[in-house]
Amino acid sequence: MSNEYKITYKTENTYDNWVNNAYWQFLIIPMENDTQHDVNVEFSNSLFADNDYSINGFGFKTIRVHPKIKFKQINFEAQFSFIKDDIDPFDFPLDLDDTLANERIKELDFKIDFESFLKRTPLTSLPEGTSTNFEFNSANSIFENLQNLNDWTFNYIQFKAGVTQVDTELKDVIASRQGVCQDFTHLFCAMSRKNGIPARYVSGYLNQEHGLIGDSQMHAWAEVYIPLVGWKGFDPTNNIMANTNHIKVCHGKDYKDCAPLKGIIYSQGQNKTKYSVKVQSQQQ
Amino acid sequence: MLARVANNLFWMGRYIERSEHIARYLNVNYFSSLDAPNVKSQDRQFVLRSMLFMLGDPEKDDAKILKEEDVLFSIGLDTNNPFSIISTVKLARENANSARDLISTELYEAINKFYHFVLNYPKGVFVKNGLHDFTSNIAEMTAILRGKIRGTLLHDSVYAIIMMGINIERATQITRMINSKYNDALLSQGSHGDKFSKSFEWTTLLKCAESYDMMRRFYKKTPTSISTLEFLILNPNCPRSVMNSLNQVNEHVRILNPEKRYNKESTGFLIGRVRAEYEFKYIEEIEVDIKAFIENILDSLVKISDKVDEEFFNY
Amino acid sequence: MANIENQIFSSYQKNPELYDEIFDSEGKIKEVYQKLFDIYGEHSISDYVNLNSKAKASFFNQGITFQVYGDNDVQEKIFPFDLFPRIIDPDEWDIIERGSIQRSKALNLFLWDIYHDKKILKDKIVPIDLITSSANYLDQMNGVNPPGGIYNHISGTDVIKHKDGKYYVLEDNIRCPSGVSYVICNRTALKKALFGVFNHYQTHTVTNYAENLLELLESVKPKGVDVPNVVVITPGMFNSAFYEHSYLAKTMGVELVEGRDLFVENDFVYMKTIKGPEKVDVIYRRIDDQFIDPLEFRPDSALGVPGLFAAYKKGNVTLANAPGTGVADDKAVYTYMPQIIKYYLNEEPILNNVHTYHCSRPDELKYVLEHIHELVIKPVDEAGGYGISIGNTLTKEEIEKVKLEIKESPRKYVAQPIMSLSVHPTYIDETESFEQRHVDLRTFTILGKDKEFVLKGGLTRVALKRGNLIVNSSQGGGSKDTWVLKK
Repeated sequence: MSNEYKITYKTENTYDNWVNNAYWQFLIIPMENDTQHDVNVEFSNSLFADNDYSINGFGFKTIRVHPKIKFKQINFEAQFSFIKDDIDPFDFPLDLDDTLANERIKELDFKIDFESFLKRTPLTSLPEGTSTNFEFNSANSIFENLQNLNDWTFNYIQFKAGVTQVDTELKDVIASRQGVCQDFTHLFCAMSRKNGIPARYVSGYLNQEHGLIGDSQMHAWAEVYIPLVGWKGFDPTNNIMANTNHIKVCHGKDYKDCAPLKGIIYSQGQNKTKYSVKVQSQQQ
Repeated sequence: MLARVANNLFWMGRYIERSEHIARYLNVNYFSSLDAPNVKSQDRQFVLRSMLFMLGDPEKDDAKILKEEDVLFSIGLDTNNPFSIISTVKLARENANSARDLISTELYEAINKFYHFVLNYPKGVFVKNGLHDFTSNIAEMTAILRGKIRGTLLHDSVYAIIMMGINIERATQITRMINSKYNDALLSQGSHGDKFSKSFEWTTLLKCAESYDMMRRFYKKTPTSISTLEFLILNPNCPRSVMNSLNQVNEHVRILNPEKRYNKESTGFLIGRVRAEYEFKYIEEIEVDIKAFIENILDSLVKISDKVDEEFFNY
Repeated sequence: MANIENQIFSSYQKNPELYDEIFDSEGKIKEVYQKLFDIYGEHSISDYVNLNSKAKASFFNQGITFQVYGDNDVQEKIFPFDLFPRIIDPDEWDIIERGSIQRSKALNLFLWDIYHDKKILKDKIVPIDLITSSANYLDQMNGVNPPGGIYNHISGTDVIKHKDGKYYVLEDNIRCPSGVSYVICNRTALKKALFGVFNHYQTHTVTNYAENLLELLESVKPKGVDVPNVVVITPGMFNSAFYEHSYLAKTMGVELVEGRDLFVENDFVYMKTIKGPEKVDVIYRRIDDQFIDPLEFRPDSALGVPGLFAAYKKGNVTLANAPGTGVADDKAVYTYMPQIIKYYLNEEPILNNVHTYHCSRPDELKYVLEHIHELVIKPVDEAGGYGISIGNTLTKEEIEKVKLEIKESPRKYVAQPIMSLSVHPTYIDETESFEQRHVDLRTFTILGKDKEFVLKGGLTRVALKRGNLIVNSSQGGGSKDTWVLKK
C-alpha cells in the first residue's frame, strides 16, 4: 500500500529596512529513499529570483535563493508531491539473538564507522553528572531498550512550545523538562549514543491528520542503528516508531546539521517571519 | 579586474588629485594675499573664509572672527574633518591598500611615503610656519605619484580607471576653485576702483590651478574674468582645464568599454554628451550666468561619477 | 670565553649552555660563517646602527607592516628584520628538505585515510579520539575526493635545532601557514643593505616561490577546465597577513579577492568584475574552514561565500588547502607523526619529533614520574599553553603536586623533554650590539599530484627578548634572511 502526499510549505519575510543582499538556503525537500519516491518539487519566490538547486555538505538536496535586487519583503512557496509507501516498523524478527549485536557495538571498527552518530555534540551532550532515571537493561534486547527509551523520553519531557529554542542545550531541557520535538529528539539521541547505539537526528514533516503531536512546522525524530537490523526510526515526541506519517527530509548529528532554513541577511533593524506547512495524504 | 577594486582605484585617483588641489589652494591664496593690491584681498578673515568655502565647508556666521591656526589645522591636519588634506590622503592610501596587488610596487611605495609624510607632519609647525613647506611638498609628491601612475603601470583598465578618477576630480576641483574665486571677486570688487572683470582674484585663481604662466603666454595680457574662465574651462590644451579633463575621461572610458556606438545608458555616452556641450560653447554664453554654469558643470560631473559607479563597480 | 678578534663581536657574550649556530663549543667560528664574519668585521658597529635604521625605513615605506590596535588609534608596525643572515649548509638543508616533504606526504595520506576508509584508526595506530574530539574534523569532507588527491597543498613546518645539534619538528602548519612573503622581503632587504656579502656565497634564490605555487594551483584545477582562473581569497586589508596575501596575488598575477567579491550560482563560483561575472576555478584561500561558507559553517562569518562548499563538493571549484586539513595539525596528531610516517610511507622519519611520553602507558608513566625535572608536562586536551608545567622551573613541592595530579588521571597528561632552541647572533637595537637570541625555522612545502617543492630558504624567526623561547611575531619576534647554500 502507498499514499499520495502533498505538502505545501510557505514562508513570508518582511523587513523594516531595505535588504540589499541576502542568501537563503532551504533544506525542506522530502528525500528519495526506500519508502519515499517520485518526489516532485515546485518552488517559487515572490521576487522571481533564480532558485538554485544544490546539495549540501551532508548530501541532501537544498534550494538556494540570492535575489539581485533590494527588497523589504520576500515570500517563498514550495509544493511537494510524492508517493510514500506504507511502513511496517516491525518488519524484522523481533526475537533476534542480541549477543552478536552486543558484541558488534563494542568493536572498534563499528565505533569508527558510526563515529559521526556516536559522538557528543553541543546539542546532544548530557551535562556531566546528570542523573536521569533511565538505564539500558542488559537483560533486554537492544530494540526493547530503545523502545523503553522512547517511552521514557516521551514521559520525561512535557510537550510545550515556546519554552526552548532550536539551540537549547540538554542541560536546560533537563532542568525545565519541557520542550518540543527537537528537544525530545536530542535527548533520545544523547541517551542512545551514551549506550553505544548510533543515533541520528531526522528532520522532516509529520502528517498530523491522525492526531499526532508536532509543531505546525517541521518535525524531528531519531533514527538509531541496530546491528544486523539497520536504521530504525523512533519518534519520542509521540512515543511511536516512525511510520507512514513521517516524511523524511534529511538527517544529521543534531538540529544544526538539519536546519530547514538558513538565511544570511545583510540588513539592519527588525524582521518578521511567518511559516506555514500543510501536509495532506490520500491512500492509493 | 574586480569591480570593488576598480572602485578603490577610481577613488584613489580622486583623493590624490583632491589633496593636491586643496593644498595648492591653501598655498596660493595664503601667500598671494600677503601682498595683494587691495585691502579686502589682504584681509586674513577674507582669505580664511575663501579657503573654507572652496573646501565646501563655508563659515555661515559673518560676524565670527576666525582663528588662523584653527582654520589651517582643520583644513590641513584634522583627522576628524572628513574634508581635510590628512583625511583625503588617508583615504587615498586606504584605497591603494586594497588594490595593492594591481598597482606597481613603485607606485604603492610612493603613496605610502606620501601618507607617512602627511601623517607625521608636526601639527605645531604646520599651523605656525609650515604651511608653505607642507603644501608645496604635497604638490611635489602628487606630481611624483602622477609620474609613477603614468610610468610604472600597464596602460590598461587599471590605468584607465585611475585616470578617470583623477580627471573627474580635477574637473570638479577646478570648478570649485572657479566658484570660490568668482565668489571672492564679487566680494572684493569696489575697493580701489577694482572692477570685477579685472579683479586680482583671477590671477590668484590661475596660480591655484598652476596655469598662470601658460595663460600669460597664451593671451599676453593681464587676466580678466573672461580670459581666465575661457582658459580654465574651455581651452583643451590647458592641462588643468575642464575641457581637457573631460577629454581625458572620454579617452579612458574607451579602454574600459571600446564600443563604437554607445547605448544611451552608458558612461561613454554621457561623457560624450557633456564633452560635446562644452566643446561648442563660447565664453560669452557662460559669462551671462556664471553661477548657473558652475552648478551645471558640477552636476554633470556628479552624474558622470554615478554613471561610472553604476556601469563598472556594481555587480 | 674564547677571544673573538672581530670588532663588532667584541662584546658578544656566549652562554656555554646554548647551542650557537655560528660558534662551535670551543668558541671558534664555524667554517661556513667565516667569510661572512670577516666581511661583517670590516664594518664598525655604527655602520650597523645606520644600516639597521635604513632597513627599517625601507620596510616601512614599502608598507610591509601589520597593524596593532591600540586604545584609540591603529599603529603600523614592521616585523623586525635582522641584518645577520642565517646560513644552512647543503647537507643539513638536504635533511630539512627531505624531512619536510616526507611529513607533508604522510599528512596528506593521513587526511585521505581519515576522510575515507579510516584504516589507520582501525589498525589502532592512532586512537579514534583524535578525530571524535577534534573540532577541526569536518564530517562534510567524508568521502570527498579533492582534485589530485591533495589536501595540504601548502604546508609550513616549524623546526628547531636542539642543543644536541639535531633538527626537531615542533609543529606542522597545514591550515593557512603564513610568512613566506617575509622570506622574500628579508632577502631583498639584506641585498640592499649588504650586497657585498652575496658575492662570496652561492645562495639559492627564494624568488621562485610564486611560480611554483601558481603551477601547483593550476595543476589541481577542476575537471573539464582548460585554463583555470586562479584567485587568492583574503579576509581583507585589516588582516595581519594582508601584505602577504596581496604579495602572493601580485607575484602570481592573479586576482586578490574578498568573500564579497565572489558569489555562487548553479554551484559555480564567480567573481564580480568591471565586465560582469567571471568564473573562478581555483581558490587559494587564506580564510579558515569555519569562515569559508556561512551556509555550511559559521553563519556569522562575513568573510566567506554562501554556497562555496557545495560548489567545492560538486567539484566545480578547488580550494587549497582543502577544507578539513586542520584536523591534522592538532597537537595530538603531532605526537603520532613518527607512526603516521611509518604507516603510510613505510619509512623512518627523517626529521625528529620531540619525543612524547603518554602517561596513559604504564612504562612511560614511570619514566615521567622519575624525570619530571627535565620534562614539560602538558594536558592533552588544553589548548593555548594552559596547564603546562616546565619541569626545571618547578619547586620540590610543585613537582610533588604535579606527580600527584598525573597519578590521579594519567590519561590526561603527556610529557616532552624540554627543548632548547639554538641561538644566533642578532643585532639588538637597545644595546647597539650583536647578542645571542633563540631562533627557529619555518619551511614552506608545496605538494601536488606529481610535484613536491620546498622553498630553499624558509623563515628564520628570532625571539628578540633575551632568553625568550617564543619566536612568534605576536610575542615581539623578528626574522632573518636564511641562506641555503648550493652544493
